[in-house]
Amino acid sequence: MDQNRQGARASYVVLAAFVAVWVLLPSAVRRFNREAFVEFQAPALHLLGRSRDLATFFEKKSRSAEELAAAGRDLARINAALELKLKTMEDLRRENLRLRELTRYNVPAEYLSVVARVATRDSSSWWQRIVIRKGRNDGIRPGAPVIFGDTVVGRVTAVHLTTSEVDLVTSPGFRCTAYLEGDDQNRIVLVNGVAANSLGAAKARVSVIPYDYLLPAGTPARVTTTGMGGVFPSGLTLGYLDGGAYATQVGNFKESLLVPSRDLYNLQEVSVLVPIHQTPGEALMQGDQFQ
Amino acid sequence: MRDPEDTKVLPSTPVERLRLYAVFGIFALGFLYVAGGLAYRQLVQTGDLKEQSDSQSRRVILRPPARGRIYDRNGFVLVDNRARWSIKADLAALQKEFRAEYLRLLAAERARQAVQIDTERVMELARVNVLQGWLNKVWFVIDENQRTTTKRPMPAKATPLDPPGERKVNIEDLRKHLRERRAMPFTLVRDLAFPVANVPAGPEEGVKAVARFIEQFPVDGPIRLESDIIRTYPYGGMAAHVLGYVKDSDDLPPNVEDIAEIRLESLQKLRQTGKTGAAGVELSFDHVLKGLSGWELWTKTSSGYNQTRLKYSEPVQGSNIVLSLDLRIQRATEQALAEIKDPQGVPLPAAAVMLDVHTGEILSLASQPTFDPNRLAGRITAADYDEVEQAGAWLNRATQGLYPPGSTFKIVTALAGMRKKVVDWDDILECGASYRVGGRDFPEHEPVGYGEVDLDKMLAISSNVWNYQVGLRAGPEALAAEARRFGLESPLLETTDGPDAQGRSYTELPYAAARGLVVPDREYKLRIKAGPWQDGDTANFSIGQGYLLTTPLHMAAFSASLARGETRTAPTIIHDPSRSGIHAGSSPIGLSQAQLEAIRGGLVRCVEEGTGRSARIQGLPVAAKTGTSEYFKKGEKAHLAWMIGYAPADRPVVAFCVLVEGQIDTNTWGGKTAGPVVKQMLQAWADTAEKSGQAPPR
Repeated sequence: MDQNRQGARASYVVLAAFVAVWVLLPSAVRRFNREAFVEFQAPALHLLGRSRDLATFFEKKSRSAEELAAAGRDLARINAALELKLKTMEDLRRENLRLRELTRYNVPAEYLSVVARVATRDSSSWWQRIVIRKGRNDGIRPGAPVIFGDTVVGRVTAVHLTTSEVDLVTSPGFRCTAYLEGDDQNRIVLVNGVAANSLGAAKARVSVIPYDYLLPAGTPARVTTTGMGGVFPSGLTLGYLDGGAYATQVGNFKESLLVPSRDLYNLQEVSVLVPIHQTPGEALMQGDQFQ
Repeated sequence: MRDPEDTKVLPSTPVERLRLYAVFGIFALGFLYVAGGLAYRQLVQTGDLKEQSDSQSRRVILRPPARGRIYDRNGFVLVDNRARWSIKADLAALQKEFRAEYLRLLAAERARQAVQIDTERVMELARVNVLQGWLNKVWFVIDENQRTTTKRPMPAKATPLDPPGERKVNIEDLRKHLRERRAMPFTLVRDLAFPVANVPAGPEEGVKAVARFIEQFPVDGPIRLESDIIRTYPYGGMAAHVLGYVKDSDDLPPNVEDIAEIRLESLQKLRQTGKTGAAGVELSFDHVLKGLSGWELWTKTSSGYNQTRLKYSEPVQGSNIVLSLDLRIQRATEQALAEIKDPQGVPLPAAAVMLDVHTGEILSLASQPTFDPNRLAGRITAADYDEVEQAGAWLNRATQGLYPPGSTFKIVTALAGMRKKVVDWDDILECGASYRVGGRDFPEHEPVGYGEVDLDKMLAISSNVWNYQVGLRAGPEALAAEARRFGLESPLLETTDGPDAQGRSYTELPYAAARGLVVPDREYKLRIKAGPWQDGDTANFSIGQGYLLTTPLHMAAFSASLARGETRTAPTIIHDPSRSGIHAGSSPIGLSQAQLEAIRGGLVRCVEEGTGRSARIQGLPVAAKTGTSEYFKKGEKAHLAWMIGYAPADRPVVAFCVLVEGQIDTNTWGGKTAGPVVKQMLQAWADTAEKSGQAPPR
């Protein structure tokens, strides 16, 4: 009995000593430990992601030949349509270049696209975050936008050796400027994630909507990136305005909620747009670069 | 075994018992005193103590409302509110950084072996250093020219555009903030769209600065982005004298109905600076535009920082008002005025007014030089103030400028003569090169004279001699009475009508001339101690010179009255589609139809073939009278160019007045200088009327 008590006491003492040592450690050591722990669990995250991929592979392999043939036909049609679109886009690109030269328009930020598989999702009520299987080794840098197709998924907040953490559009740590569909004057609004309650769907808030902005009739209004902040390219879809919550008016502006255009928790693959040139925001995120 | 006697604890003797009871009694009394005091405080003083506690631990922050918008008569927004994005530092969240910097500086001071360390100064320096560090980071992000080519980027450098100290934390501002508004975040950049004070970044650059901060600056941390409302004037200096501008104000009424449950007077109040009208409609209709402040009830920490928000209420935006101005006519008027320049290419001081003949609603009212109210919407700097002051742009020349009306007054002389029956419309007077009055020759402006002149010809050529003769025949009393009958000495724009006036009298445009207006007579000349009235004074008076002083708005109102055949027009700046067109104090002009027709004919002839030919518009009959009066500028004679009238001549809809202040070295004449402005104003009106389906006859 006494031995048990002594054992319990000793464990408390050890815990207290560990906490005390942790608190007193220099921040560099603590950061090193955290990094080491993340790197330690990275293989497990990779394994988890790969096993999910494997499960998907076998699930697809079990499909019948007829199903695969139908899917192949559909893909061929989509490919044909996309090829046609590609040619149109090429014409537009040339025209765009010509106009830029004429107007001496500053070339917007350029990016390298890095495709990354999603390793795991952290969909707790506080952090709307995913972990991707690409990291510093693959050239990912903090602050880089993360997209899927023409849709914004979020942006990289932490980069480790082989993994990176991505704050989703619905994360409280996400903030960007946007245009609203139907606003002829292209006035910027602010999009930032809100902490969802544990059972509610994750959404973001759209604020500083001009008082005279009217929702386009029929379809929900698309919310797109402005490309003015130097992080996100312009014209990417952030989501759609939630028409139901739209009427709120704060001061001289309106507020609304943003419904992400994709199911952010079922993403398998994303693209990270790594800016070719470092942005000031990126330098700030690295912290120690500023005196 | 213990002896039972040993357990006996109470004293056995009466003395001992008495002593014990006395002690019990004292304790009981003490307890009762404490209990009674507690009960008194809990039951009787609860309210007072709670209030005292609340006042020590809570505060109310009043948030200013958005002002109402101002529209023109067609619904175009003339004054709006825009989002102002400010960057603020949360001082409570920076406490740790302040402390760390303070200790570092203190250690440095000790290392220097300073004899006496002023800890207050060190703390202040620590705060400034920390805030400056954050401000550098902010600039590093928002300045698009910043390049991050080096591994270790340096803090942003000032560009040639930046006034000295623009990117520095102002220590005086910080001191004031800590003294008066410690609980509020400290402003690092007041307006992201205009990050360099009063130097507009340009629409796109401003938005880019906002976007760069939003997307690149860390979301968490002590530096916050806040948006509030600021007044914006989308057309810059257009109609600035009508619209006015706003200035900072802490005295904005809260939404009292919401706050009734809170005893506001006992709480500490922090007011965020709002805006109040400082000039123009912004000032005269401030009671309509200003709205009601919102409020937030906070608990506060012992250091005075905000802790928890308990309750809040949103601000209530002010009401909108609709002005009678027509944006398109106003723009055309100002563009036309801007084209009149002195030999150095500087636009001449000028004013122009256009009225709706029937309702008196002002369609355009311009004064030159003007100012950009956007530059005054934030914080008015001494440099901005001086610039406007030196340009003489504060003065609204249309409503406040006092000028002799010159030959435009000859219409009044003619009216007085006909009403006194000393002349009639078809009387012909001999008009030579001059007219002798009191031993002095009063000249005609045509060196050889005009010969035989009737009313029609007089109005077309603006003969002086005709007016000398008629003025002297009618006498100064008749001239003064006629001028007063048309309200040339009465203040304008005073009304009890309009939005939210609630029966009270007010002036629609502040400081409109009221006292300085002069219609001279014998008493006036004696009052100003200028001696007895002479015939020469009458001659001068008859051609709108001498002591006579009026404003362009008065002359525009006179034109509108003449166009309707009445004596008074009450101009107004507020648009009201249901306006009756009845003008207070107005009566029929008191002339025969033939006399009225003769006046109209003379005014049309003035434009068709007389002095006002520069205002002629193909297909639009215009009735107008030009005037070139003399005034003294810096002790030397200069000319004022006038043109008043109405159009279309046969079915009047609009009346106008244009005045240009000539300079000593400029060649300024009524028809030649003011005529082109009238022409452009009328063309803008005709285009507008045509587009809105009220096509003027062409």
